[in-house]
Amino acid sequence: MSPLELLRLAFGRLRTSRLRAALTMLGVIIGVASVVALVGVGQGTTANITSRLAGLGTNLLTINPRNGSAGLTLEDVDAIRKIDGVAAVAPELQTSGTVAVGTKSTSTSLIGTNSAYAFVRAYDVWQGAFLTDPTADNNLRVAVLGSTVADNLGLDATAVGSQVTIDGLPFQVIGITQPKGGSGFQDPDDQVMVPVGVVRKYFVAGDTLRTVGVSVSSVDEMATVKAAITATLRERHGLAATADDDFAILDQSQLLETANSIAGTLALLLGGIASISLIVGGIGIMNIMLVSVRERTREIGIRKAVGARSRDILAQFLIEALTLSVLGGLIGIVLGLAVSAGIARLAGWSFVLSPTVVAVALLFSLAVGVIFGVWPARQAARLDPISALRWE
Amino acid sequence: MAEPIIRLDRVSRTYEMGRVAVHALRDVSLEVGPGEFVAIVGPSGSGKSTMMNILGCLDRPTAGRYVLDGTPVADLDDDALARLRSRSIGFVFQSYNLLPRTSALDNVATPLLYQHVSRRDRVARATAALERLGLADRIHHEPTELSGGQQQRVAIARALVTDPAILLADEPTGNLDTHAGREVLELLLELNRAGRTVVLITHDPDVASAASRQIHLLDGQIADVAGVAA
Repeated sequence: MSPLELLRLAFGRLRTSRLRAALTMLGVIIGVASVVALVGVGQGTTANITSRLAGLGTNLLTINPRNGSAGLTLEDVDAIRKIDGVAAVAPELQTSGTVAVGTKSTSTSLIGTNSAYAFVRAYDVWQGAFLTDPTADNNLRVAVLGSTVADNLGLDATAVGSQVTIDGLPFQVIGITQPKGGSGFQDPDDQVMVPVGVVRKYFVAGDTLRTVGVSVSSVDEMATVKAAITATLRERHGLAATADDDFAILDQSQLLETANSIAGTLALLLGGIASISLIVGGIGIMNIMLVSVRERTREIGIRKAVGARSRDILAQFLIEALTLSVLGGLIGIVLGLAVSAGIARLAGWSFVLSPTVVAVALLFSLAVGVIFGVWPARQAARLDPISALRWE
Repeated sequence: MAEPIIRLDRVSRTYEMGRVAVHALRDVSLEVGPGEFVAIVGPSGSGKSTMMNILGCLDRPTAGRYVLDGTPVADLDDDALARLRSRSIGFVFQSYNLLPRTSALDNVATPLLYQHVSRRDRVARATAALERLGLADRIHHEPTELSGGQQQRVAIARALVTDPAILLADEPTGNLDTHAGREVLELLLELNRAGRTVVLITHDPDVASAASRQIHLLDGQIADVAGVAA
């Protein structure tokens, strides 16, 4: 019998027992949908991390003080700047503040930094200019707005040169940055950059920095620069040879590689768990097919009496199981893609439709149909026509 | 007599029931020529069913030779046996044995499916067979929507659609009332008059009397032959 005839038989059968077919497929639908959705989410996360890597800045090292340490100072920043291979250093003194203009206000991050910040953290200026050395050194009350802040305050290009208040204190807007956008749960555009001296003077007591960003000239020098910074800071902080560092240097690309591999492992793990439900779905199909063989014993006897060979019966029941599993797989793929698209939308990353995932899911459901369909089909094919015809 | 369609030569069929051997058929020899209407009669336990299974190539003899339509059955494997059934035998059963939830048309077309006949030809031939049996207006009915007599006529249409060498009818009137039973019997006679070889298996001497030759089975052996050979 041709595959087309077998499919026609199988679909005819499904039509006569729609509810049973639907319930049988449900296991495979859920299994395939969860595999597709979880792998989709995993891929979305990975793509998101990769795009953030590019947006973080070139060859970025970030230095943070360890808990309980004296912290980092602007003098440390000056010392780091003198190290060979360091392209730029930006101190970051972060706090929060309320920015207001007219009747509108928004609460945002306030970052005290210098002219190097835009380069180190890879921000582009959309309108106006970034902080310059003279404005920073002279502690002028000037502010560069992140694009989200500008949007929240209803400011456009004409706002450059106008005044805003930060926690009541007037600042002149000298620039608005280009949105980096779209990188997930933390918005890099929801911040205001002002000279570091201004933050120290008006907003934060003390002179310790929470973060120092360092841009290294080339990627090959990352390790040596990291070592040089460590040596310099240890010397400056007067640490004994046996003492631990009182700061930590994070290589962002390394961090993200780690995060990426964790995301990958997690997706694999979740996919593995989901594929268990696929197996359960397969067992459901086998169960129903075995029941079906028993119920249709007489039908099998009739078919054999009118000329069906054992392999015709085998093919008929196998194709029925395959139809169930592949149909369930297709529905599951559509459902899984819809779910991962929904999650991508909620999380704000772009939805990636991977043909590989679709193909693999389809192959999987095909395999489930074959693996769990063969045995019942063999049972059907092996029936003796005489006793099958007598079956009540 | 022309080359017989059915030739049984000292055929036996023994079942092993544990340690006891049950001889369902013993040394049965029989020839049925083309165009004959033969009835095989006997009480239950006489070996009728075994006879039917062997004649219908659902079972093989344990001893003796069976040649159907020129083909010795003993040498055939299961697939070849299925092909022989498909080509040479049309079954009519007591309980109709139609496929449930399947239209009369699809039921009648099913044997053609296993002969790899194209869909269009299947529909055409099944429709023609149903029309020949006066079921033109029942083509799309399912078995549950048909009376017993109609179901048996659908079953006969299914048996005839492959144009088999013999029509093998096992108690075809057993589940029918007198009137419907008579109609089915008339139908078989009519088919026989048109040239079809018919083998009828029954326990009912009245039904058997319609045949031109009656073979009485008793305890797995031919006890008596009545009527005239064709």
